[in-house]
Amino acid sequence: MPPPDSTPAHAAADGRPRSGGRPGGERLGAARLARGGFQDSGRAGRLLEEVLGRLGSADDEPEADVAGLVADLGASADPDAALLLLVRLLDPRSTGADGRRCDEVTLPVVRAGGEPRRRLLSLLGGSVALGETLLRHPEHVRDVAEGLSPEPWSIVEAVRGQQGRTGMDALRVAYRCQLLRVATADLTSPEPVALLPAVGGALADLASAALEGALLLARAEVEDEDTCALTVVAMGKTGGRELNYISDVDVIFLAAPRSGAQESAALAVGGRLATAVMRICAESTAEGTLWQVDAALRPEGKHGPLVRSLDSHREYYQRWAKTWEFQALLKARVVAGDGDLGRRWLELVEPMVWEAAGRENFVDEVQSMRRRVEQHVRRDEVDRQIKLGPGGLRDIEFSVQLLQLVHGRADPALRSRTTLEALSALRDGGYVGREDAQALDEAYRLLRCLEHRVQLHRMKRTHLMPTGEADLRRLGRSLGERGDADRAVLQRWKGVRREVRRLHERLFYRPLLSAVARLSSDEARLSPEAARARLAALGFRDPAGAMRHLEALTEGVSRRATIQRHLLPVMLSWFADGADPDAGLLAFRRLSDALGTTHWYLGMLRDEGSAAQRLARVLSSSRYAVDLLIRSPETVALLGDEAELVAPDKDALVARMTAAATRQESAGEAFASVRSVRARELVRIVLGDLAAGWEGPLVRQALSDLTDAYLEGALGVATRRVLARRGEEAAAALLLVGMGRLGGREVGYASDADVMFVYDPLPEASSELAAEQAVEIVTELRKGLTGPGPDPVLELDAGLRPEGKAGPLVRSLEGYRSYYERWSAGWESQALLRARPVAGDAGLGEAFAEMVRPLRWPDGGIDDAAVREIRKLKARMEAERLPRGADPRTHLKLGMGGLSDVEWVAQLLQLQHAHDHPGLRTTSTIEALRAAGEAGLLSDQDQEPLVQAWCIASQLRDAGIVWRGRPVDSVPSDLRDAEGMSRVMRRGPGSGASLAQDWRRTARHAREVVERLLYGNRPPRTGAEGETPGRAAGSPSRTRPDAPSRDRRTDGFGRPRVASPPRDAGHFPPPRRDPFGRSPRGRRGEDGPGPAGP
Amino acid sequence: MNRQQEYVLRTIEERDIRFVRLWFTDLMGTLKSVAVAPAELEQAFTEGIGIDGSVIEGFTRVYEADMIVQPDADTFQVLPWRDRTARMFCDINMPDGTPAATDSRNILRRTLDRAGEQGFTFYTHPEIEFYLFKEPYDRTLGPAPVDQAGYFDHVARGDGHDFRRGAIEMLEQMGISVEFSHHEGGPGQQEIDLRYADALSMADNIMTFRTVVREVALHEKAFATFMPKPLAQHPGSGMHTHVSLFEGDSNAFYEPGADYELSQTGRRFMAGVLMHSREICAVTNQWVNSYKRLWGGGEAPAHVCWGHNNRSALARVPMYSVGRGHSRRVEVRSIDAACNPYLTYALVLASGLRGIKEGYDLPPEAEDDVWVLTDAERRAMGIDPLPQSLGEAVAVMEGSELAAEVLGEQVFDFYLRNKWQEWGDYRSQVTQFELDRYLLHL
Repeated sequence: MPPPDSTPAHAAADGRPRSGGRPGGERLGAARLARGGFQDSGRAGRLLEEVLGRLGSADDEPEADVAGLVADLGASADPDAALLLLVRLLDPRSTGADGRRCDEVTLPVVRAGGEPRRRLLSLLGGSVALGETLLRHPEHVRDVAEGLSPEPWSIVEAVRGQQGRTGMDALRVAYRCQLLRVATADLTSPEPVALLPAVGGALADLASAALEGALLLARAEVEDEDTCALTVVAMGKTGGRELNYISDVDVIFLAAPRSGAQESAALAVGGRLATAVMRICAESTAEGTLWQVDAALRPEGKHGPLVRSLDSHREYYQRWAKTWEFQALLKARVVAGDGDLGRRWLELVEPMVWEAAGRENFVDEVQSMRRRVEQHVRRDEVDRQIKLGPGGLRDIEFSVQLLQLVHGRADPALRSRTTLEALSALRDGGYVGREDAQALDEAYRLLRCLEHRVQLHRMKRTHLMPTGEADLRRLGRSLGERGDADRAVLQRWKGVRREVRRLHERLFYRPLLSAVARLSSDEARLSPEAARARLAALGFRDPAGAMRHLEALTEGVSRRATIQRHLLPVMLSWFADGADPDAGLLAFRRLSDALGTTHWYLGMLRDEGSAAQRLARVLSSSRYAVDLLIRSPETVALLGDEAELVAPDKDALVARMTAAATRQESAGEAFASVRSVRARELVRIVLGDLAAGWEGPLVRQALSDLTDAYLEGALGVATRRVLARRGEEAAAALLLVGMGRLGGREVGYASDADVMFVYDPLPEASSELAAEQAVEIVTELRKGLTGPGPDPVLELDAGLRPEGKAGPLVRSLEGYRSYYERWSAGWESQALLRARPVAGDAGLGEAFAEMVRPLRWPDGGIDDAAVREIRKLKARMEAERLPRGADPRTHLKLGMGGLSDVEWVAQLLQLQHAHDHPGLRTTSTIEALRAAGEAGLLSDQDQEPLVQAWCIASQLRDAGIVWRGRPVDSVPSDLRDAEGMSRVMRRGPGSGASLAQDWRRTARHAREVVERLLYGNRPPRTGAEGETPGRAAGSPSRTRPDAPSRDRRTDGFGRPRVASPPRDAGHFPPPRRDPFGRSPRGRRGEDGPGPAGP
Repeated sequence: MNRQQEYVLRTIEERDIRFVRLWFTDLMGTLKSVAVAPAELEQAFTEGIGIDGSVIEGFTRVYEADMIVQPDADTFQVLPWRDRTARMFCDINMPDGTPAATDSRNILRRTLDRAGEQGFTFYTHPEIEFYLFKEPYDRTLGPAPVDQAGYFDHVARGDGHDFRRGAIEMLEQMGISVEFSHHEGGPGQQEIDLRYADALSMADNIMTFRTVVREVALHEKAFATFMPKPLAQHPGSGMHTHVSLFEGDSNAFYEPGADYELSQTGRRFMAGVLMHSREICAVTNQWVNSYKRLWGGGEAPAHVCWGHNNRSALARVPMYSVGRGHSRRVEVRSIDAACNPYLTYALVLASGLRGIKEGYDLPPEAEDDVWVLTDAERRAMGIDPLPQSLGEAVAVMEGSELAAEVLGEQVFDFYLRNKWQEWGDYRSQVTQFELDRYLLHL
């Protein structure tokens, strides 16, 4: 700061050398200043000298007062900044906007010391921006120093009778003056956190008064203003009387004609008045700007007219308004303009607010609103956000409002506009636990204080924690921290964030527990009706059932009940986030009953870590997993350790199976133990799928390996058992050849195992004996794998063997050879493309593979006649194999663009080109397509849709069984099923509705490629019966309203139904049971033979 | 129960309405109706009325036959030609309350919502043409026009004249404003232009219009047909539609000083309509007979081009008076009078929006009568023909991602199959033309 030398008088008064070396310099020593809170004590010393100089002769000053000044500065949040501003205020050259010298008003305050000085310095240290306001308007120093109470109404008085620019300036000056008063009270408060609600209220009152002032000014400039009554309704934080220092002010304008005026003209005037009010507040003048007035919460938002009449509001809110609009109206408060109109409006909307929770889509809308609250944060700011994001201020406000809407319908005591008031009302009514309410109250106050102080510094609208050390330090000191203020404030903030992190659990779920379990009797409890209302609002479809489960889970004094009481609130929140909360809770109860007091189970739950969360996700999203877990509850333990959720390799699986089998004496027990290993591994896979993020290919790989190992293990058991029973040495080598998806290593949850049994007499063994043993072993094997058990039954399907059902179950290698040489049909070659030895004798496997090689990868590729044959077969299958009533557009396997379509393209390419391109010699559909791409047989544009469709169809089928526990054939039309499957596939919440649409598109693109590649050029359309699998059930049946009964004599394709389709039954397995062996599904081969012949 | 619904119930009471017809439209644009007694109406408002969706073309597959029709109280009107009967249009929902994929109204509304997200409101103004023939219709003689007048002819004591007056009165009674009406080019052919409205209201209006016109014609001992080309030697019946987009209160097509005062948004919209006109043709011109109109010469637009005052172009920027920004618009001339207006407007809008979104360039204006150009000339000018037949149109539509997106995969698939079916049925006919030309000669 340059020495002032313009005024001789001053220089005389001072009369000392300006720089250093002054007697008594010790009292401004660096150490003392540093202790006093200054960062740059050197500069602080120089500035203090200057201040002391201004105050008059240093010699007159008693020592104590210097100390007082230093102490007062040190009490402010930022002593360095306060001192700097003080020097500027004391500079005789500083003059305010009206020419008044700043030092004239400041000097007496600083000289006098005491409270006034402390107030001034606290303000200067807390807000650079407000300090600069004082430099511009030194007349307000008095307001600060004397600690005057805010008088909002003076803002209106200041502009009365004024207009235009001068009026706008007067409005700003008067508003700032009152703002200074509020900020002074806030910054000098010993307990800012306690004072917080009052500060928010005072700020809202200032905003209201400013709006009233702006309306006065607007009336002064709009013609015919007297024809229109205008009311300003404050929304949001202004409405709730919990405003920030700097924030948009949300409003809704109402207009009505004054007596005698015409409505439309009056509304036009109202529109001009409202526009003027917004401009008067927001425009930048010489005195700056107030804030933006945001009218976006009005009916129809930004597209709607700015002002509306009462009737128009009524009409809108009755007919069009969405749930979130009623939530916003919760805060509505009339703040300026015509009070009577405002009152009538409030009478109109308030009842509607409290009926909003009864609206039809309330739950869905609330959930999507919540997602918006949580998602709306920039990634780089997520760690600094005070306001947005999970556990931020908005989340707290939103959650409190939601509870108000749910319970305020029945309980008028909850109808407060202010977050903290509402929270205490919720506490008093028992809707939120007392301790939880207390903790949230404190957290909310602290977060708001942090936000206020961050904003105060430069009067900037920000909701981010600062990162700079100096900024953090100021923030900490402004909240009373001393010492390591920067670190301390961060710690406090993080502590609060930990509290708030479990906000939803505390607010929504814990009180539910208190409703069913008598915890502490003195506290008010959620009534059963309120608990049911809340469960329904949280997405439970059977609140009464959920209450019963909660009761059962928490009753008693056992250790389990104690742990569950503690755990359930958070579990409930996880269930509620899942696709089927009710099922999740029910499954949890069943598991808990089954596992009882098992030590590890309780331990796992008690730790509450990711294991419990994984369990919640699994239980609320998968019937399949729940069924498995209920059958063998001990497998829940797999969730306890993330290291368990890794796919084991095949050798390890085989070793596990064999070890399990050899431990058992009897055959029955040996099979049972092999099966229980499989059950356990299935659990591992479905848990990995649901809770550890396994991708589709990994799941299919794991399921394929598991099936291989299972067959290997079971074959071993059967062989040992038969040989032991017969008391013979082995006379034959045995082999299981996997076909279809098993052969392709593409096994899904619902896949059956398509197999062929091969034996070869061992050298020097009689072929009769070998055959006898082989048949017996295979019979034993099949018997051992069926029957009830802990695992879903794996059906062995041998329908693809030579001669189908009519042929012998087991053949020798030579038998196969001679059959294939003499009889083999084209479709058999095609089926053999996927043949893979999966269990049994490795040498025999190689021999078999060598034997079928010329069949599946024929030299020179198949000829044109064979290609034609395949096309014909495919066309016929499309027409015949689709189950009755199925839609060809959505059937995942046999529909257009479905699995079968894609597989046939791959297989055709293999039959034609595998001899030339070794890459094509694979049993995997995807690998074959990729290899065809690399070999240049399939363009990228054609490859992608095929691969996509195949992968998505496979995934949908797996997701279907995981979600429902039963296989799905088509994308479900039921929205809940679609949503559940969608969640299993890790699509975002709410995306179930588009599942069918997405599949249809994918399949359509694939079908287009299939038609081109499989059939060559587009076959001619006849319209009547094209290659489209015809007029499926939904197609243009020409039925008219006057002939409503549908023609029941035709099948799904509009052709006459035939009792049983003319086909060789041998290639079609009998109706199978679902994987849990519950009921026959009466469908045709599902995962069965890809290319089944006619 | 909202205010409008209460108003409906009150009106029914006051005017002693005995039947309320609930109207909805199937995918082919056929109006369907279920009558309910007033006593059932309250339930219809709150829960909807269950219908067997499978009796209506395109509405459902057999196993999901149950659907709910939900009357839209805003569309309540007393039917002037029917004693104590009123009607409302309905939305069609699934039993779980979600809109049915196969509801035409929902398809249009969805597309309008998408436009709304970009701040646009879509207005349309159709010029609907149709023929009046004498009743009863004698198959052996063919249809007999009610008069032999021509374009804008005033017909003394003309039946058409009385007819138009009656029809307009009735339309106005039903709250549908008529802008303009006159005799059209063909004998017995009439044109009535409706005052512009937002596309959903307009599509409802068009459905009402067809009914009113048929009712009034019957009253005048005539019958009305919207068949695109009933008489080979006379002009077909189109439904030229003027379209515009508004952003709030301002016309987004208007830009003072631009060519034809058409803004860039307007040009891109028109470019979109042109670019996608071939693939949506199976909807804008959905019948076998539609292509007889398109390729019948005259003013029918069979070629994808635009012009200012070019009456052979597919899209036209009509005459304008300088400075009247409000009325700046584009006229789409391919649409015929027998389309499903909901689907048609949805697809035209989506085509235009695509043009705006992708920033399509508008091809140069065609100033000549494109009919008199040679094929080679047209090719040189980059003017594509519209499909020549329904079969071709359906084949083109099959490859349309735009149509699939707007209609939804399910309707897209159904629609194509339905149209293949129609094309197949048509091809299996032996026509009079063939008999006349071949029977005795071959």
